[in-house]
Amino acid sequence: MLSQAMFPWILLTAAFLFSLGALGVLVRRNPLVVFMSIELMLNAVNLALVGYSSFLDSEEGQVFAFMVIVVAAAEVVVGLGLLTRVFSIGRELDVDDLDEMKR
Amino acid sequence: MSQSTAALLGGLVLLLPLAGSALCGLLGPVLGRRFVNLAGTLSIAGAFAATLVIFVQVLGAASGHQSVTATLWNWLNLGSGNLNISVDVTLDQLSVLMLLVITGVGLLIHVYSVGYMEHDPGVARFFSYMNLFIFSMALLVLAANLVILIIGWAAVALSSYLLIGFWYERESAVLAARKAMITQVIGDVALVIAAFLIFVNLNAAPRCPADQSCAGIPQALHTLSLPQIFAHAASLGAGSPLITLICILLAVGAFAKSAQFPLHTWLPDAMEGPTPVSALIHAATMVTAGVYLIARFHVLFAMAPIASGMVACVGMGTAVMAGFIALSQQDIKRVIAYSTMSQIGLMIFAVGIGAYAAGMYQFLLHAFFKALLFLAAGNVIHAVHDEQDIREMGGLDRRMRVTAWSFLIGSLALAGFLFAGMFSKEDLLGFGLLNGPGAPALYIVGIVVNVLTGLYAFRLYGTAFSGQPRSDAARDAHEARAVMLWPVVILAGLSAVAGWALQWPVAFGPHLIDAFLGPVFSSAPVATAPGTGLGLLGFGIGVACSLVGIGVASLIWIRHGFDLSRLLALPGVRLVVRLSRNKLYFDELYDLLLVRPTRALSRGLRRAGEPVMDSPIRGISWIASDFSGIFRAVQTGLIRDYASYMVFFAVAFTVAVMIAAGLVR
Repeated sequence: MLSQAMFPWILLTAAFLFSLGALGVLVRRNPLVVFMSIELMLNAVNLALVGYSSFLDSEEGQVFAFMVIVVAAAEVVVGLGLLTRVFSIGRELDVDDLDEMKR
Repeated sequence: MSQSTAALLGGLVLLLPLAGSALCGLLGPVLGRRFVNLAGTLSIAGAFAATLVIFVQVLGAASGHQSVTATLWNWLNLGSGNLNISVDVTLDQLSVLMLLVITGVGLLIHVYSVGYMEHDPGVARFFSYMNLFIFSMALLVLAANLVILIIGWAAVALSSYLLIGFWYERESAVLAARKAMITQVIGDVALVIAAFLIFVNLNAAPRCPADQSCAGIPQALHTLSLPQIFAHAASLGAGSPLITLICILLAVGAFAKSAQFPLHTWLPDAMEGPTPVSALIHAATMVTAGVYLIARFHVLFAMAPIASGMVACVGMGTAVMAGFIALSQQDIKRVIAYSTMSQIGLMIFAVGIGAYAAGMYQFLLHAFFKALLFLAAGNVIHAVHDEQDIREMGGLDRRMRVTAWSFLIGSLALAGFLFAGMFSKEDLLGFGLLNGPGAPALYIVGIVVNVLTGLYAFRLYGTAFSGQPRSDAARDAHEARAVMLWPVVILAGLSAVAGWALQWPVAFGPHLIDAFLGPVFSSAPVATAPGTGLGLLGFGIGVACSLVGIGVASLIWIRHGFDLSRLLALPGVRLVVRLSRNKLYFDELYDLLLVRPTRALSRGLRRAGEPVMDSPIRGISWIASDFSGIFRAVQTGLIRDYASYMVFFAVAFTVAVMIAAGLVR
């Protein structure tokens, strides 16, 4: 059982990790790194959920954390599949290069 | 005749041609030519049979009960004292006489059309339009409500338009159809305005002084039912400017329909349609609708002497003018078209001077001999391979004996000697001796028309039928088939006999038409007939003038006893001939006065008005496209851009929520 005093620090850590992930998504152009940044953001959320779960003495937060892990795994499967397809058609792996939606 | 019988019979006369039109138009292209021929003619035969039953019923009815008005259904009812339109039919002597010609002559012409349109691919369309025309015309003459009459009035113009432009791949036919339609619409508008005036003013209360109550004064009837209009016509005020205006408007409608000056230019061009159409619509029935209209509204016209006088003068003026133009036309159908215009001018003259029965008598006989002339002309045109120029004919009397004899009977009837025209034309001219503005001035013009009629009728017969053939087609011409010959022969028989049997233009002999139609016109003062002596004198002069015309024409164009070319070379005569040949330059005049200014106006409006009209709309579209450009710039297609928008708005939302919750100050 974590002490009550640690709870703000847990939230701050989660916020810091989340911001770090968001920054990575925004500034990096390699899609693999972008994915890793997204994972970082998801794990920051997991941390916040677990922290709340402990703080509120409830299991629901932990259940949600598992849910997020499952969704993240599924998302990585789809995303990596997309990346291998893009790579296999001979395109450079660069998110700025993939702007067909506009044209 | 009871109301229900009248409704049944009137409904049949209307419904059968309408059903025929729908069947031919919708199923004809699928079921083929034989079905169309059968459905198209049988529907008219049925309508004719129903008309005969009506005729017998009207003849057999006790005097005073011959006119029956029956309601088919109530079409529009806006409450009492407001607009009420019920689809009523009036069966009386006048409408039955019209119906007999419409369905009877119509039936003959439909039978003829089976032969005439034998090789035309559009036969289903043709019979559909023809049946539609019979329906429209029946609606027009049966209508007992001015609105229904106007619907029929416009519907005959529509079917006329469709049939003139029947060969729509010919530009001249399309232009002629358009010209006819536009002229008709001028008349329609006049008729509608007249209807408005009647609706507002019939039985209208006299303007009540401001300090008095108007409670006891009857309110305006607000009705367009014809029997009611005639019953309360006196409230419009005999001789008042109002009734004069109404009658002039009605007359303008009649002039447009009946091709009278100055709305006459469409009729010769209407000859672009197939010949049976010219016979049925542009000779026998539709163009006489104007005569019917004035005869039907005789109660109003009797109260408006100025308008009636104008009608008489216009009719007689058109008769002379058309006769003059007919003298020099070279197209066989155009000559007959101008003669139609001239003969209808005489009918209009007759109803203008109050000789309504005489006008309707001329309508009846004219329908016979003019349909005869057109159908015979159709045979000729068929025989010489669609050639209509009479200079390319000649010598047809030995090659097409039956047609030639029939045409001769028709020409004599038209010129007014021995056959139909002698009876009806002299009958109505006789009334001109004592009636009409400045009588007998118009009678004297009338006998000039007689001379002209004899001249052009026998110039046409002589040039087309006698002498030697002037083209290969005329040399190889052969008689038409039976289906096209029998209607011609029947009409020739009717033209020859009807006048002798029905009514003589002198005081003795049969007067069946006067006796039959008399009750219809009894409510208005009728023109005074000349006495025995004066009548005989007028008859003699009229027939003598016809004979002069016939004789001179025969001398010149049949016997070739007189060389025209020397006379035509004289300068004054040359001018007259040029005037006649160019139809008195009416088309050019209208082009100059109406068509060109209208076109210039529309072109100017387009050039000057279009930028003005369009600028607000252009402005709106310009704003829309430029404003949306701002938002378009946001959509870059770059994932990182979208992600940053998401982050930005998530942060903004969070901050907004925190401010709202009071966490940040």
